[in-house]
Amino acid sequence: MTPLQNYLALSIALFAIGAWGVLSRRNVILVVMCIELMMNSINIALVAFSNYSPSPAPGRGEVFVFFIFALAAAEAAVGLAIAIALYRLRQRLSVDELDEMKG
Amino acid sequence: MDFSPIAFYTISVITLACAVGVVMFRELIYSALSMVACFMGVAAIYILLHAELVAAAQVLIYVGAISILVIFAIMLTRHPKGDFWLFFHRQSVWALPVIVIIATLLIALVAAAGFNSVDLGQNPSDEAIAELLFNDYAFPFELVSLVLLVAMVGAILLARKERR
Repeated sequence: MTPLQNYLALSIALFAIGAWGVLSRRNVILVVMCIELMMNSINIALVAFSNYSPSPAPGRGEVFVFFIFALAAAEAAVGLAIAIALYRLRQRLSVDELDEMKG
Repeated sequence: MDFSPIAFYTISVITLACAVGVVMFRELIYSALSMVACFMGVAAIYILLHAELVAAAQVLIYVGAISILVIFAIMLTRHPKGDFWLFFHRQSVWALPVIVIIATLLIALVAAAGFNSVDLGQNPSDEAIAELLFNDYAFPFELVSLVLLVAMVGAILLARKERR
């Protein structure tokens, strides 16, 4: 039997790797991919808590995960559309070249 | 004999290795394939947590849809080849230790929190999930479908060619 803490440790590790990718990579598409990894780690934590916490009405955590799935899909679609629009505009996809909004 | 700890550790190591691969590969398409493997590992973790419906949805949505979307985005754009610093910020030198410190603190916090660590098997059957989703959470469910519609229209509008 695996204790809850192991699942949470896995979730934290996956979140940390995703955050590392967001902070250290230059490519916009890769940043979107790493954000998806972070969302996956949050889903693991939700499903784990849903399974291990004593609750009068079980299953709420899993329902939450379904909503996060839908929102992650929407976020990926819009994010990648923005990346393609940027590529069309600049022919590059490096996040540190996108500084038009800088005052 | 209970094989679930062995399964958990094996799947965890594979998932985390694939996640590191997503960040470290220089070819973007390798990163995308590594991401697919990572999503499959997460689906296996859901099955270990008795959440079969979530695992199926994970395979359908992440492995099926989002990966294809990412791979299309990679194929529609051109990516330069070069040395390490073409792919990584200078700040990545600082990002890694900071992230490791934050992750260590979080894990210490979780270890100290005293959560219930006995597997109660609280995740219900698929039937119960459907009951919840379409009775108690019917309104958020409809709202999410609206969000998806708006996101679809927005994505088409953003990605289509400008016509003058």
